[in-house]
Amino acid sequence: MRYRIRHLTTYNYSDTVTLSQNLAHLALRATGSQHIFSHRLEIDPIPGVIHRRGDYFGNPTDAFTVSLPHDRLVVLSSSEVEVSPPMQPEASATLAWDQPPVAGGGDTGEAWEFRFDSPQIPGARVLRDYAAPDFPPGRPVLEAALAFNARINREFAYDPSATSVTTPVLESLELRRGVCQDFAQVMIGSLRTLGLCARYVSGYLETQPPPGSSRLIGADATHAWVQLWCGPQTGWIDLDPTNACIPGERHILVAIGRDFGDVSPLKGMVLGGGTAEVTVGVDVEPVVGQFSGQSQQQGDPAGSSSAQQQQQR
Amino acid sequence: MLQSLAASRYQTEPGRWDECHGPDGSPRPGWNELLAQIERLGAGELNRRWEQSKRIIRENGVTYNLFRDGAAADRPWQLDPVPLVLEPAEWARIEAGVAQRALAIDAFLADAYGDQRLIRERIIPPGIVHGHPQFLRPMHGVLVPGGTRLHLYACELVRCPDGQWRVAADLCQAPPGAGYALENRIVLSRALPEPFRGMRVQRLAGFFMRLRQQLHTLAPRNRDNPRVVLLTPGPYSETYFEHAYLAQYLGISLVQGDDLAVRDERVYLKTLGGLIPVDVILRRLADDYCDPLELRNDSTLGVLGLAGAVRAGNVGIANSLGSGLADSPALMPYLPAITRCLLGQEALLEGLPAWWGGDQAEHILANLPELILRPAWNNRGRPVLPATLPVIEQRNLADDIRVRPHAYMAFARVARSTVPCWDDGKVVARRMSLRVFAVRDGNGFAVMPGGLARIDAQGDGGQLWFESGGGSKDTWILADGPVLDVSLLRASDAPLELKRGGIDLPSRVADNLYWLGRYAERVEAIARLVRSALSCLAEDAGDADQAQIAAYLAMLDRATGLRAAVDTPSAMLVGLISDGAGGPLRIAREHLRRTAFGVRDRLSADTWRALTALDAELAAEGGEDANQSLARLNRVVIACAALAGMARENTTRGPGWRFLDLGRRIERASFIVDSLHAAFADGHGTPPELEALLRTADSAITYRSRYLTTIQAAPVVDLLLTDPTNPRAVAFQANQIAEHVANLPREAVGALPTPAERLATHLQASVRLADPCELCKPDAGHALVELLDDLAGTLTALSDAVTTAWLTHVAPSRAFARDAWQPGDDFTGRI
Repeated sequence: MRYRIRHLTTYNYSDTVTLSQNLAHLALRATGSQHIFSHRLEIDPIPGVIHRRGDYFGNPTDAFTVSLPHDRLVVLSSSEVEVSPPMQPEASATLAWDQPPVAGGGDTGEAWEFRFDSPQIPGARVLRDYAAPDFPPGRPVLEAALAFNARINREFAYDPSATSVTTPVLESLELRRGVCQDFAQVMIGSLRTLGLCARYVSGYLETQPPPGSSRLIGADATHAWVQLWCGPQTGWIDLDPTNACIPGERHILVAIGRDFGDVSPLKGMVLGGGTAEVTVGVDVEPVVGQFSGQSQQQGDPAGSSSAQQQQQR
Repeated sequence: MLQSLAASRYQTEPGRWDECHGPDGSPRPGWNELLAQIERLGAGELNRRWEQSKRIIRENGVTYNLFRDGAAADRPWQLDPVPLVLEPAEWARIEAGVAQRALAIDAFLADAYGDQRLIRERIIPPGIVHGHPQFLRPMHGVLVPGGTRLHLYACELVRCPDGQWRVAADLCQAPPGAGYALENRIVLSRALPEPFRGMRVQRLAGFFMRLRQQLHTLAPRNRDNPRVVLLTPGPYSETYFEHAYLAQYLGISLVQGDDLAVRDERVYLKTLGGLIPVDVILRRLADDYCDPLELRNDSTLGVLGLAGAVRAGNVGIANSLGSGLADSPALMPYLPAITRCLLGQEALLEGLPAWWGGDQAEHILANLPELILRPAWNNRGRPVLPATLPVIEQRNLADDIRVRPHAYMAFARVARSTVPCWDDGKVVARRMSLRVFAVRDGNGFAVMPGGLARIDAQGDGGQLWFESGGGSKDTWILADGPVLDVSLLRASDAPLELKRGGIDLPSRVADNLYWLGRYAERVEAIARLVRSALSCLAEDAGDADQAQIAAYLAMLDRATGLRAAVDTPSAMLVGLISDGAGGPLRIAREHLRRTAFGVRDRLSADTWRALTALDAELAAEGGEDANQSLARLNRVVIACAALAGMARENTTRGPGWRFLDLGRRIERASFIVDSLHAAFADGHGTPPELEALLRTADSAITYRSRYLTTIQAAPVVDLLLTDPTNPRAVAFQANQIAEHVANLPREAVGALPTPAERLATHLQASVRLADPCELCKPDAGHALVELLDDLAGTLTALSDAVTTAWLTHVAPSRAFARDAWQPGDDFTGRI
């Protein structure tokens, strides 16, 4: 599936900002099932310094400094990407979750990075206890993980008012509610305390309009899910506890890290500024048949007009 | 002391090595001479000298745990008069072992922040790096000057019963203690000069010279004379004394995060004269706090963009950002293998037997009662003895080890050696550890010939920490041959450019100096006022005195907002200075201390002593009667005068001095204006009120010499307000203020005066144009009070203008990182 994605962030400050230093994780990461055709970052005011580099986890990042006085900062990230359907391993044929190499000790290679506590996902006994029922001894790792994935989806209420971006993972677990970030972080924390390697994925999700109505521009949002390491053969498998599924063509990956802190789309520090008001709009638009027909499936006719998209902003 | 040592009343502990005595009770080599030298001095002389030394420590303000919480008193540094003595041969083994270990750790850091060969070749478990919270991923792959990440290293050694020294901890990111070791040496070499010279004790200064040279090699440019700064978390840090001390000793600037700014990936010092480039940072700030942008978003102590400047190669940092990775007990079991793999050598120093939970949880769980547990990732947490815990807690602990094995580190319990310590007239055996320091020197490490010996507090079984009230010792390393004297002040060969500057004064320092001036003056003014009132009370006479006391209270009220009931002034006034935290004198003292600590490295040793003496007088606790308070206030006023004299006579007339004196002048002018206002607010100044004014302003003698005993309003107002020759008069302050303001650095010389200059001129003119005779005429109405109101307003505005023009750009930057962004998926978007 091919998408055109626009991700617009606007900061309005009550006072003039004299200096603003930022780090963006907005450029899409290329993966085996995701090809990036283009990416563009437009920033207003124009930054004095901007550097693109890969971060430790291999995600592209942009560091930029705006040193012109301003009371509004606009960052528009535009990408065009093609997502192929991921490989679907047979869950019951995966390795046992509690044996090397999947858990502990074995040759996990770089996966080991994601086995430990991270700043926003500290380990705790309650996390292990929460996951335990789905992980009896010897169960194939993906089978257990899918069961757990489905249970989080069942037992947690989706409730944007319950948590914020800084809600600690143990609090979301206690509340049994939250948004995608909370679901993902609870799942990651639980998997790690079981000795498994799990990482945080930030990305986008293509949304489907309700039947009969057309796609709303900007109604899409950022999304977060989980990757679990299932052994050297199977590798990393995506799991989306918010939607109780294995992510497919509608999930567009931006960056991978240990938790949200590693992949925060835009973080920065300013000198001055007073209070800040931020608005974010994301638009994931399927592109049908314009460039290549190979991955074209049943496209969404209402969302195909790029002209319509342009005039909105 | 020597008697008890000689008579073997000194009790060693069975099963422990004693540093001084062999198993048969005879002194070990090296100690012989120390004991003989001390014997020659005699116990009385030793005691006398030691009392003197303790006073020096207090006066120098050597402290640990400053400001632990606002009310807690500083804890003076605890130093024991008996040094630890080590023989050349034994020291040579320690020296070689520590230098090798430092080199191995540096190689480990290079590997972890580079291609991670140790993990790929399974020399270490991956978790040692990837599980470590201080593995700073943004610093991975960053090139550092000379490939060196570890520049200053400290090794905590303990001696086991077999006589072997073993490593208990490695301190790798900003090792504290070298400055304390130096201060210990200075104090002890003065207290015991005869043994110190007679025993050929190796000197410490060479180590600090190497440290300074090493810092210079880190400079990306200006290698000959780079600007080096010491980055401190600030006066609230436990070891702030040492930061200030080291900065002064090394001749580098002490700065806080807010003093530095990064522009275009270069680091600058914010000064009165603008931004000036910084080449090298010696940091005492934990590395993840160093940059709120890339490292820790919630840090308010760091420098925004510092990691970027390091990555661009524009600044050298010692130790490099990320070296906290090696500050980790978990690394210890693997250092022998690391040394073998990366250096091709066998490790010379052993660590204490230790097990990391991430690798050997089974061993730890099986032997829990015999072990000491510590956090795996840093040396800060307190050790836990599982055997001493209740059963339920032991079970919880074991369970937590199963869930988070990598967070735990277990050590075998060892019996540390004992050493003789002086305790209130007796010599007792205390358990000790030795912290040894090493600095990078070319391809190897140079080890400080000495160290910080730390001793346990009495009755404290297993703790090594300063917080538990233990003490320290100087460590004397004996030399085989003659000892060379080196001084840090010896200049390098290149001639220095002569300088007279001052505009490179950090803005934060100027700010602190300004307020230091204000609070020092405030303390003095309140002390004078209370003293005058108390002496009235002591004389205990009739209505005139009552009226005068009432006048003092009105002035206090006006100047400090303290409302006093006139009927119980005695108790109130005594209470004002002797107890309670809320009195104006106490509040001024707290402010004085805070601002003084903030500029500690800028104050000379004498000034600091004067401040310490003043602080001690202010700190004395309650239970005084009026006469005792009076005596103490006299001492306070004298101490204030000493401080003021020091500032006047011993300070170069740079911007720093101008800000200090400006603060003092503005405060004094405000206080006199307030006092006059209180006396004239509802009348024309009765004789008791006028008398009170003269006494408060220390101008009674001048008045009598001019006007004898006739007391009238106009001459008093002239003397206190308009007489430019009286150093206590507002006119005098106004002239000084105008001069200071005209001479402060400015960005560009414009045609128009600055706001501060306008206000200073207004102040000067208002006072000069005032006619005391007119103002004090019976029909003058409120003219005097109106003038005083105007002056008070002008002074407030002036203070604000100075702050705005020179000092406010020290305001820190703020993060919008966390709360600005809420990811969330659209509910309707569920698949």
